Amino acid sequence: MNKTLQNKIKPYIWLLPSIILMAVFVIFPIVIVFKLAFSEVSKSGVVGGFVGFKNFRDAIGLPAFKTVMLNTLYWVVSVVGLSTVLGFIIAMVLNQKFHGRKIARAILVLPWATSLVIQASVWNYIIKYEYGNLNNILLNLGIIKEAINWRSSYQIEFIWECGVGIFVTIPFVTFCVLSGLQSIDSTLYEAADIDGASYWDKLWRITVPLVKPSLTVSTVLNIIYVFNSFPIVYTMTKGAPANKTDTLVTYLYMLNYYNRQKGPATALSVIGFLVLCLCAGVYMVSVMRKEEDL
Amino acid sequence: MKKVMAMLLVLVMMVSLGSVAALADDEITLDVIICQYGPNTEDWFLGSGMNGTNFVDKFEAENPGIKLNLEVVSWNDVYTVADTRIADGKLDILNIDVFANYATDGLLEPVSQWCPDDLYNDFFPAFIEQSVIDDTVWAVPDLASVRALWYNVDMFEEMGIEPPTTWAELEDTCQTILDFYDGKVYPWGIDMTTDEGQAAFAYYISGNGGSFIDGENNWTLNSAENVEAIQFALGLVENGYTNPNPATQTRYDLQDMFAAGDMAMLIGPNNMDTYCAEKDSEVNMAYSGIPTSDGSTMGVAIMDRIMAFKDENDPDQAARDEAIGKFAEFFYAPENYVGWVSMEGFLPAVNSSVESLVAENPDFATWLDVLDGCRFYPTSLSEWDAVKQGVIAAEQNALTGASIQDELDALQETIVAQVEAAAAEAE
Repeated sequence: MNKTLQNKIKPYIWLLPSIILMAVFVIFPIVIVFKLAFSEVSKSGVVGGFVGFKNFRDAIGLPAFKTVMLNTLYWVVSVVGLSTVLGFIIAMVLNQKFHGRKIARAILVLPWATSLVIQASVWNYIIKYEYGNLNNILLNLGIIKEAINWRSSYQIEFIWECGVGIFVTIPFVTFCVLSGLQSIDSTLYEAADIDGASYWDKLWRITVPLVKPSLTVSTVLNIIYVFNSFPIVYTMTKGAPANKTDTLVTYLYMLNYYNRQKGPATALSVIGFLVLCLCAGVYMVSVMRKEEDL
Repeated sequence: MKKVMAMLLVLVMMVSLGSVAALADDEITLDVIICQYGPNTEDWFLGSGMNGTNFVDKFEAENPGIKLNLEVVSWNDVYTVADTRIADGKLDILNIDVFANYATDGLLEPVSQWCPDDLYNDFFPAFIEQSVIDDTVWAVPDLASVRALWYNVDMFEEMGIEPPTTWAELEDTCQTILDFYDGKVYPWGIDMTTDEGQAAFAYYISGNGGSFIDGENNWTLNSAENVEAIQFALGLVENGYTNPNPATQTRYDLQDMFAAGDMAMLIGPNNMDTYCAEKDSEVNMAYSGIPTSDGSTMGVAIMDRIMAFKDENDPDQAARDEAIGKFAEFFYAPENYVGWVSMEGFLPAVNSSVESLVAENPDFATWLDVLDGCRFYPTSLSEWDAVKQGVIAAEQNALTGASIQDELDALQETIVAQVEAAAAEAE
């Protein structure tokens, strides 16, 4: 075999293990889910024949479908949006030189490094009406005279879930942005200072454009992670009352394993997959176009 | 030389595989899933909780040729695990609450195929009746639990009141507790979560002369009695007589509050005292009948089951059925079953263990009397799963302001449509 041919084949050989792994653990399950979404599936999981779009019609016709889709939208937009803004601000602070910066950075990793189930359980205890830490602290400080029911309605419970989502997502954004900030050449800021640029001029004309690639990566990954995030909602409310705090992922889990409506559940997971591909795709294309325009 | 070595290696592998196959031919392995009823279940089946040994080791020692691949699974996961094992064709015996869907999907082996006659005749007939579809018995009961009103005796003595027997008395008692303890104690507990919201539905409708089904097994979910009963339960929540978040606080949360002395009354299982003792509770507790709208007596019981799955690939069906039968005989043998039922704190499903259990704990006699007049969930109807989830969703929607009448009307319509669709398919 001549060297040119060998060089041509080599990259594919190196890629082969990854391709095999992807095929077995990613593509094969996706194909199975698509197949199930168009098949009749009994409550015990027995797979029957092809039923066309019946499972999709059943899924869309479910009473909770609209609520769940809206909740998913609120969940993704609020968690990704707010954690990006807050993560960016914290990264800017952590990029400054101050005493204890290393400790501050280490502390910031903790929410990210801890299991989401544990995070959600801890927050559950914090806001618990009967024995919650938040009520205890406020009562002991004399700020409140009677314990407050921090979960008095499902809307408030959903806000708490989003809050926990933001809390655990901030570190990831912060570290992505921080890596971007540290790669900016300081001479750019020195030149801007000489030209008399203000803090905001430097932020919008140097920092933001140069951090944009890091932000793009963190946002796309966050959209995928947050959309597919299961532990926070499931641990805090299990979607109760009556699926009013469910997101698509927790809802399809409950539909599959609790309601045992396996056909509509797989149809919903296909819908979720397509929505996610669309969102991430549109975002990536728009960002790439803007970068090309620059 | 290399070729010779390779051939030898292949030969050794073939011989060893052959011996494994030969060993496998003589043995039957049963894949079993048992539900985790309490903290000691796993130890009893797999650890050393059965007088220093465990169920599996003891069974295998007494039944050479039968191996148990037994897994103890929590109630939260058992449906998922069972479905996965069914899909893989690796499930012979399952301990769970529901059975109708497995039976209608043609997955279960009828009880008559594997249960020895002596054992079959030992089960309480009223329990066996709960597992019949189309005149075939598909599962056997493993235990039962009855529910009662549990109350904090010290609190009631302090207030100088008696436990309520009617709904009017219940409301008065709740108000008294609220006033006496200045809102620091929840008078009443309600669980309308996905964990046991169907039980709350059953307590209140049964206490108002309502039911899930009529005498001919037709669903009656939106009957006037049922709607009125759930409206009463929702009224208790609205009046501030209950735990604040019934849609997310499970019965275990309520039991914990009761054990901590933060709740005065709740409807709980017959093993509440054992549960509270495990929590080191110092609450002095007692039980009485569940209050009803007119003070008449009413009981709700819950029963779980053991069922055997088909394995059409097994070449020797008779041997497999016999092995499953031996498992059942061993499990229900008084020397094993009595220890298990007392450990879990439930009520027995077979006559042969009653005497020993009552001798061990006289309270069992009272509970068995209560069990006599109890109603069970209509789990033999294949729509039960949908009904169970539907009534919980109806309760939770009503908690957020929806009309319970509208909710139950819609549920009734959905379930009736399912019944009609199933009937049309059967034709």
